[in-house]
Amino acid sequence: MGKYKAKIGLEMHCEISETKTKVFSSAKNEYTEQANSNIRPVDMAFPGVLPVVNKEAVRMALMASMALKCQQPAYMYFERKNYYYPDLPKGFQLTQETKPIPVGIYGEVTFECNGEEKRVRINNLHLEEDAASLDHYDDYSTIDYNRAGVPLLELVTEPDITSAEEAVAFLEHMRSVYQYLGISEADSKKGQVRCDVNVSIMDENLDENDPHNWGTKIEVKNVNSFGGVRDAIKYEIKRQTKLKENNEYDTMEQQTRRWDEESGTTIYMRSKVDAIDYKYFVEPNIPKFKISSEWLKEIKASIPRLAYDRKKEYMTKYGLSDYDASILVKQKDISDYFEETVSLGCDAKQVANWTNGMILSYLNSKEISINEFFLNPYMLKELIDLINAKTISSKQGKEVFAKVLEKQKSPQEIVKSEGMMQITDTSELDQIIDEVIRENPEQVASYDPERPKILDYFIGQIMKKTRGKANPATASQLMKEKLNDLQK
Amino acid sequence: MKYMNKSIEELHEMLVKKEVTSAELIKESLEMSHKIQDECNAFVTILDDAQPVEVTDNLLSGIPCGLKDNYSTKDILSTGSSNTLKDYVPFFDATAVSKLKAAGAVFVNKTVMDEFGMGGTGTTGHTGTVLNPWDKTRMTAGSSAGSAAAVAAGVYPYATGSDTGDSIRKPAAYCGIVGYKPTYGMISRYGLFPFASSLDHLGVMTRNVKDAAIVVDAMKGIDKNDMTSWDSSHIHLRESLDGKVKGKKLCYVKEIVDLSNYENPSAELKEHIANFMKTVELCKSLGIEVEEVSVDKTLLNASPAVYVVISCAEATSNMSNLTGIIFGPRGQGDNYIEMMKDHRTKGFSPLIKRRFVIGSYVLQSQNQERYFRNAQRVRRLLVDAWKDLFKKYDGVILPVGSGPAKHLDGSKDILDKDTAVLEEHLQIGNFGGFPSITIPNGFISNLPVGVNITGNCYDDANVLNIAYALEEAMDYKNQIAKEV
Amino acid sequence: MSSKFTKEMVDDYADKLLIGLTEEENASVLAEFEIIDETINTINKIQDIEKVEPMTHCLDDFEYELREDEPEESCALEDILKNCDVTNGREIEVPKVVGE
Repeated sequence: MGKYKAKIGLEMHCEISETKTKVFSSAKNEYTEQANSNIRPVDMAFPGVLPVVNKEAVRMALMASMALKCQQPAYMYFERKNYYYPDLPKGFQLTQETKPIPVGIYGEVTFECNGEEKRVRINNLHLEEDAASLDHYDDYSTIDYNRAGVPLLELVTEPDITSAEEAVAFLEHMRSVYQYLGISEADSKKGQVRCDVNVSIMDENLDENDPHNWGTKIEVKNVNSFGGVRDAIKYEIKRQTKLKENNEYDTMEQQTRRWDEESGTTIYMRSKVDAIDYKYFVEPNIPKFKISSEWLKEIKASIPRLAYDRKKEYMTKYGLSDYDASILVKQKDISDYFEETVSLGCDAKQVANWTNGMILSYLNSKEISINEFFLNPYMLKELIDLINAKTISSKQGKEVFAKVLEKQKSPQEIVKSEGMMQITDTSELDQIIDEVIRENPEQVASYDPERPKILDYFIGQIMKKTRGKANPATASQLMKEKLNDLQK
Repeated sequence: MKYMNKSIEELHEMLVKKEVTSAELIKESLEMSHKIQDECNAFVTILDDAQPVEVTDNLLSGIPCGLKDNYSTKDILSTGSSNTLKDYVPFFDATAVSKLKAAGAVFVNKTVMDEFGMGGTGTTGHTGTVLNPWDKTRMTAGSSAGSAAAVAAGVYPYATGSDTGDSIRKPAAYCGIVGYKPTYGMISRYGLFPFASSLDHLGVMTRNVKDAAIVVDAMKGIDKNDMTSWDSSHIHLRESLDGKVKGKKLCYVKEIVDLSNYENPSAELKEHIANFMKTVELCKSLGIEVEEVSVDKTLLNASPAVYVVISCAEATSNMSNLTGIIFGPRGQGDNYIEMMKDHRTKGFSPLIKRRFVIGSYVLQSQNQERYFRNAQRVRRLLVDAWKDLFKKYDGVILPVGSGPAKHLDGSKDILDKDTAVLEEHLQIGNFGGFPSITIPNGFISNLPVGVNITGNCYDDANVLNIAYALEEAMDYKNQIAKEV
Repeated sequence: MSSKFTKEMVDDYADKLLIGLTEEENASVLAEFEIIDETINTINKIQDIEKVEPMTHCLDDFEYELREDEPEESCALEDILKNCDVTNGREIEVPKVVGE
């Protein structure tokens, strides 16, 4: 970009997918293909219906507010945002404007982008309801109200982001936060995450703390994937830079644009002066309610350690690589599994290797989650212990792993029932070595302690006879001793 | 008329003693419904197939009644007296309706109202004007116009109403009956078509205070579908009526009642105030202390505007669901905006449209502070003023309106700056959610007039008991309208 | 009376509410605006009015419990569509929505 720097702010809407019911109605909060099958009268605004606030949705929203280091309100209200659109059955959306205080204000998020630590200030976080979904056909559109009333968290950042990559890193971080908190799958493929992006550019050599130096804010609406966010920001920076270079920037009005996925461009929607007046006012049907400090304490105590902190810990405390730590914390249940196994007394690096290697590839191939995975942390410890005690070889470990899952038995049981105990007993090995020496006189004669390559051949023979159960190190040691003795 | 002029307790006793059957009551009530429909145009729907129900211990079982047409009734047309819902048949009952059903109440008709309750004349319903059974050239007032006319005419002992400004209590006065709206949230609003949510109350119209207590006992209760409802299981209105009022304290507001506040008071107004003062004396003779109090006149004068601003603002938002998409007649148009606009333009009456525009204006971000929020602020000041009175007094007693029912040809429903606070003071009962009851207290020009008692929130039993004692001391209990 | 309220303004507000007004309706809105505005002027003269907390709810000393997260059965499709004039399969049909 050269002479300019970008100021980017995000509005991230994320559905809360983990409540059982919608935010103001007791219809199921569940994604389904069957249209209009999760409906209570409230969701379609039949005359006389009233909103009733879901406690669990509020709890989750407060939890998110705390995770973003926001302040929580002492009392909570909802407000009506009034406008007409076919996907909005009431003619208003229940949401929270900044006055009175929404579920969270003035927070801060620390995240990582390309190995660098970044901070973004959060202006506010509010709890609101999703709209119905429209399907468009050639001559008409149809409305499915299943999504109407699904709880939605809207997070509004300050324009602290400076690049498209940083914006995406922030969103990925937030997705992980929501997943770790257990409040949303945050899956943009299911339409659960949607963003509006604010982009402006300013001369690089000016002081960015002085608002006078800021450029004109362009809002890009309806960006529904992280890739879209990246592309829309890049496009806008390019477009605005070009305007600067053509001396057209200063006449550009503050405006709202829309991201067009197909053409990869942003399209003018309306000017700031035509902005809709949403006529916000406090919803009288929802009495203000007190958020007790006891409840806040309870919620705070239930917040798990988040991915960002876990990753740091894995690297500093356990000496794991950035790569390994990143993979481990990607999903909370995997990270929990890892931590539980380590807490049983296993070596973190070994557990990480197993988790990131055999276990993840098994889960992926079977398309199951770790909660459905038979080999629990206790079994993983058993397996690692068996290897560390040299009862089985590492190679055998992999076989045992497969058998455990196939036969649904513990590693100990598998090793026993499959007769996979390594032979470390020297007298047993002695006999076998003697046999091998007897059967291979020529090779024995050619043995040269200075060039012990032939040793591998003997080990191979021993493994063949023991069907791999000989402990390779022990066998090798004994064989060497025998051959040396013979030479003398 | 053999039965429908009787009280609920009388009818219940007759039913229990098998002197009459539920079917016979329904038959008479339906006959009366058709008669009053012809004479007064009181009903949107008459339920000719109403079925008798088993008579139980419940006082309401087997007895006919009417429901205002903004009560959502399962499988029964519910229009709110609006063309926007002229064919709307709900698939669920309002909570209050379910409760009445469970008590064994039999619904025989749905009553006409001012469109969505947004009027005080009974002239703006989509099925036309409701006429006052005492004098067909006069209005019933509104919005619970059909309910008031029907109860006054003896169609049944009670009908439900709703009250956002005075919509139960003013038509009750004009029709010579009892109109009671309990404390806000005592009866669930679930299934009541909203006008202004922070002011809307459900209530009842009857011909005596005890009947009002009986019906509200059945309708009230906390409801999981209405967050503003509260648990009143400890309140038993009928049982608490003992008529013992000695030592109770009432007050009336000088700025409202003193004739010197009105330029050129009409003869009717003078008579009305004189009649009210007679009622005050009657209260005193019952051992009730009644005192004159003073309230800041600026606040009182602001009250009508506060009401218009808040009610119109909430209404314009509440009725944004009326687009003809999910229910209501589908509008014409090539795109959704034209389609919605066609539905709304054709569906709403001029009065409502006007109120929507006002409501929208006062909510605009650049106007909200000056109009809407200031109105909400004065609302608080007025409520605080009344709450101050309730620290000392059991209730505020005031005349309803400026006299008897007005002539229909003179009806207007535009906020008039000269409108006396006298016409509008009942709104304060809605601002604060106070329990408030109107009972008939005499006749002027051969037409009934009413008096209102309003008490503090949750103090319904006390308010009703005072009204009960006062009613007993006057001659207007259980009166049936007769053409004058 | 010269006024800050104009016919055009009233029409614009009505239009945003998706309502068409006749000339007569427009005129009566204007008349009522004047009256309201006058009263509001008196309100604005009340001392320290801005310090009063706006009363947004009817009972604002009111405490209540939030709803437990327990689902209720979905309404029957037949019920939710029975008052709709234009349906399409399980859904409600409207003229094609273009724009935002």
